[in-house]
This record gives sequence, C-alpha cells and structure tokens, in this order.
Amino acid sequence: MPDFSLTEEQTSLKDLARKFARTEMLPKAAECDREGRFPEEIYRKAWELGLMNLNIPAEYGGSGLGLMDQCLIVEELAHACAGMTTSIIANCLALEPIVLGGSPEQRQRFLAPFCASYHLASFGLTEPAGGSDAGALKTRARRDGDHYVLDGEKCFITNGPHASLYTVFATVDPSLRHKGITAFVVPRSTEGVVPGKEEDKMGQRASSTSTVRFEGARVPVDHRLGAEGEGFGIAMRTLDQTRTPIGALATGIAQAALDYASDYALKRQTFGKPIAEHQAIQIKLANMAQDVHAARLLTWHAAWTIEHGQRGSLESSIAKCYSSDAAMRVADEAIQIFGGYGYMKDYPVEKLLRDAKLAQIYEGANEIQRIVIAREHLKAYA
Amino acid sequence: MEIVVAVKPVPEAETRLRADPSGARLDGDGVKWVLAGYDESAVEQALLLKEGVPGSRVRVVSFGPAPRTEEVLRASLALGCDLATWVEHPADLVPDPVLVARALARPIAAAAPQLVLLGKQAGDDESGIVPSALGELLGAPSVGAVTDLRWDAARSVFTFHRPVEGGAESYEAPGPLVVGLQQAWNDPRTAKLPNILKSRRAPIEKVAWSETSASLRAAATTPERFQLPAPRTGARLIEYKTPAEAAEKLVRLLREDAKVFP
Repeated sequence: MPDFSLTEEQTSLKDLARKFARTEMLPKAAECDREGRFPEEIYRKAWELGLMNLNIPAEYGGSGLGLMDQCLIVEELAHACAGMTTSIIANCLALEPIVLGGSPEQRQRFLAPFCASYHLASFGLTEPAGGSDAGALKTRARRDGDHYVLDGEKCFITNGPHASLYTVFATVDPSLRHKGITAFVVPRSTEGVVPGKEEDKMGQRASSTSTVRFEGARVPVDHRLGAEGEGFGIAMRTLDQTRTPIGALATGIAQAALDYASDYALKRQTFGKPIAEHQAIQIKLANMAQDVHAARLLTWHAAWTIEHGQRGSLESSIAKCYSSDAAMRVADEAIQIFGGYGYMKDYPVEKLLRDAKLAQIYEGANEIQRIVIAREHLKAYA
Repeated sequence: MEIVVAVKPVPEAETRLRADPSGARLDGDGVKWVLAGYDESAVEQALLLKEGVPGSRVRVVSFGPAPRTEEVLRASLALGCDLATWVEHPADLVPDPVLVARALARPIAAAAPQLVLLGKQAGDDESGIVPSALGELLGAPSVGAVTDLRWDAARSVFTFHRPVEGGAESYEAPGPLVVGLQQAWNDPRTAKLPNILKSRRAPIEKVAWSETSASLRAAATTPERFQLPAPRTGARLIEYKTPAEAAEKLVRLLREDAKVFP
C-alpha cells in the first residue's frame, strides 16, 4: 500500500524548493514572462543549491533522488514559474538517456561535469515533421570510420541555444523505423551543430526553445549510447522516468491557480459579501480543489509505482495527462473567479493558463498519453 | 576555534497561533518549527567565523522537545555546522529563560568553546535573557545586540559593535565570550540539497535532562495565560468619487477626528 506521509527529509527538500521558488523565481516570473527573458542567473542559483540534475546518481556527484522526491521539488518550483521550472528540469530529461543507456565510463565522462559546474543539456528527439510519431524521425547518422556523421533538424528543443551538450536520437537506417534509431551524445562544440532562433512562445516564456540543426556533425563512436538501434528504447524509457515530474509541474501550476483564486475570493466583495460566500464561487473552488488533490495523488502514485520497480507506463501517463488537463481547468476557473482582472496581465492567473497549455503538449502529447492509457487499460480485458 | 551556537525551534512566521487546552501556552499541534530570525543569523555568523579561521568547528546545541528540536539541529547541520547536541526536554516541563540557560550551560561548557553565539533574542517569546544568564553560568562575559563580530587573529581578540542611540559602540574581548547576535555580516545562507540529505544521516549527541544542572531546579516564573492580540478595529474606508474629494475627506478626518493637525 502506498504511504504518502512525507518523511522529514522530504519535507526539508520541499521546504528548500519552496524557499527558492518564492524568493528567487517568483519575483522575476512576471518580468521573464513579459520579456521572454531566459533568467540564467536563477538557473545558476538553482544549480548551486543542487536543485538541478536531481536524477543523476550520487556516484557521479548528483543528488540521486527518487521520483517522489523529484516530484515534491518540481511542484514547488512550478508553483512560482512553470517556464523556469521547465528549463531547470530540462537537464534531467537530457541526461536521463545517459543514466539509462550509457556505460559506466560514459556516465562518468558525460554526467560528472554537470555536477561539478553549471551546464545545461538538451534532449533532442522531436523533429519538424514528427513529434508524437518518434519512430518516423529523419535525422540521419552515417558511420564513417570511428565517427558518425549526423545530418538533420530537431525542433522545440528546451534550452537549445544555451546547452553545452545534446542527447540526440538519429536513425542509421530509416527503413528500419524504430529499430534504426540510435542515441548519441553530441557536444555543442562539435562543428556542424547549429542551434536556431529562439521561439516566441505562448507561455513558459522564461524557458528557451529553439531548433537545433546538425550539418555533417561528426561525433566519435564512443559518444553512442548503447548499440545501434537501441535509441528508441532509450528514448521511451527516458520518457517513462520524466513523465511523472511533468504531472508534478502541472500540479504546481494548478495549486498556484487555486491559491490565487481562493485568496482573491475571500477578499473581493460583491453584493455586500466576499465572493467566496457565494455558492457559485464555492462550487468552482470545490471543483478546483478536487482537481488539484487528484492531480497530486495520481502523480505521487505514479512515482510510488515506478519507485517500487514497475515500469509504470499506465500510472505515469495518467499522472501527466490528468494533471496537465486539470491545470488547464483550474487556471481557466481561476481567471473566471478573478473576472475582468483575471484577463489582465497585471494579475498572475492568465500566465498560469498559458503555462499550463504546454504541459498538455510536451513530453508526449496528451493524445499519446490516452493511447497508452487505453492500450494498458484494455490489456486487462483482452 | 571551537564555536558553539545555541538555537531554539520557533513557529514559522506564517503559523496561525492558538492557545493549548491549558490556556497558558501555545498549542504546538500542527505547527511547523523552524530556525528563525536572530538564530539564523547566529548560525550564519558562526559559519563565517569558522570559514575565516582554519581548523575551526561549529557545534550547534538546542534544548527542547523532540521532534522539533531535532529538526532545527538538522537544519543547522545542513547549513554547515559540524556537530550537534540535543539537550533532552521533559515533556511536561515549562521552563523559564534562566532554566533554559541552566539546561544549556553544562553541555556547552563540555565543548570548551572560545565563542558561544546565540540570537540576541528568540523569534517567539523574545525574552533576550538566555545569552546573559548563560554568560553568568559559564563565568564568561556576555554581550547582547552584537553586530560586525570578527576575530582578530593577530591579537587573539574578538572585535564587535553594538548599536546605541545615534551611533555604535566598539568593543574587543578575548574568548571565551557569550554573544547575543543582532546581525551577521551576510544574509543567512540557504542549505544546499546535498547537504540537506547528508544532515539527515548525521549523528546528534544527546544529553539527558538528568545530566543538566537545570534538572535540580524549578522555573522561577511560569506563564499564566496565552493570549492573542484582539483583532484590530477602527479602520475606516473613505467613500469618494474623485481623488480631490478623497483628499478633502481625509484631511478633515485627520484634523477633526484624529486631531493630527490643529
């Protein structure tokens, strides 16, 4: 049976994340959103406090936290700013293929520098012609002596322009579909690695997103993770690990929306009393509170399932899908409770809706999560 | 240099306070206990001095009920303190500040520190008595409201300031010295995640209540009633249509009701 009472250690980690979120991230969240600014000074501080690279095992100098601990931290960070949180946890996504698919020597070589000093890494799977259909990716890797030559383009790459290292999925033979996909570690310094322009996004604007092109980029064979053709499996196992914290990120957005809305509803007066005393608003708040509670528990349950040695595809897909949909609903209702003010950028709730939208799309669109959920669900009836 | 910093768990600033069933004390149920205010500064100052004097060690000591006391000790270890001592607190004890000093005195003396640092007053009851009572019990000079505390290695003295009306007093004193700190040079640091994880596994030395000189005494004072300030009333909202009207009404109220202006 899952036991979700937090240990003192977990409470301390949550407190650290909350303190960082409230004192460092929140004061700059509105400005970074407005300007589309990538606040590298905040990311450096997050690194200094050990809030980046949460998933790197302790033997390489990382925090080596379990998924539950990661979720507690991510929720607190996202409560202040989901965009900054996405950039802070992008290293977890980018480095997880090395954790899962790298040899001990590769892990030491590629992971340890991220724990020794501040660097960003990016995960490169999605391509302009294929996001959800990852098996159809077109970036080519051709063997040339003791190197591979990479050609192709990746898009929607978080921290793309700022990364010093990319984990890239390319195919050695497109006719093999999934079975041709191979994972590579590509340093930014490699000739032919060309990050594109920063995308101008709807939300999560403190995070940076760009294309990354590979134009005859030569990487040594010892930068390949696993064998040729093992890349798809590495990518999917990576996403199995990182999907659950996206549920936590969405829960953080939803909790923030609920907090702002509740506070406002207790202060704002209409017809001679706080709007929180009108049943129309109470029903909204009650529904929002249920959504937040369910999102958090589904996320924690997914983390618990995976920490107990199961793959957790069903649980993590439910957590990611439900929590991001819930974040949209709760942010939407928060705006409604704020009324006209909620639609104005001077108030914090419209940003939450724009930020939440991305959580339904990235790390496996919610349509893909529903395919996974249906498939896993139907197994029990087949 | 051996430095001891004594800290007290206090309710987090956002806590909703209420009295316990006896009506005499704060109800600790569901309260989040933290290292607060001047104590955080005292820990920061101890760590700054340690970093400036090679071979120094900081021991954090606290007297209070479990588990809240363990939490502030671990928080101090996560910040960089080297050793921790927990002085056991009988469950039904209601100590006064002098009894607290008696409970702390022996365990602190056993560490033979050059410097004993405390916040100048606790973040909750703000009595400010423990530093001077502790100085008396340890036979060491004690000073309160200290700022800019430094160690002058060439002359083997501590130098520091105390703010006074319109200025500051400068002092120097050799150790052992008891200091009630007003402010460290830096804002208190934030514990890093790996250090938080390490602090959870660090040993905490335990001193039994019976080993303290406080166990032979009783508190000289006991709290009778725990009372929250009455909700404030008397605020008035000025109704207006134009800013000029608001200003006119405000001036009239200030002059005629509050009599701030003749």
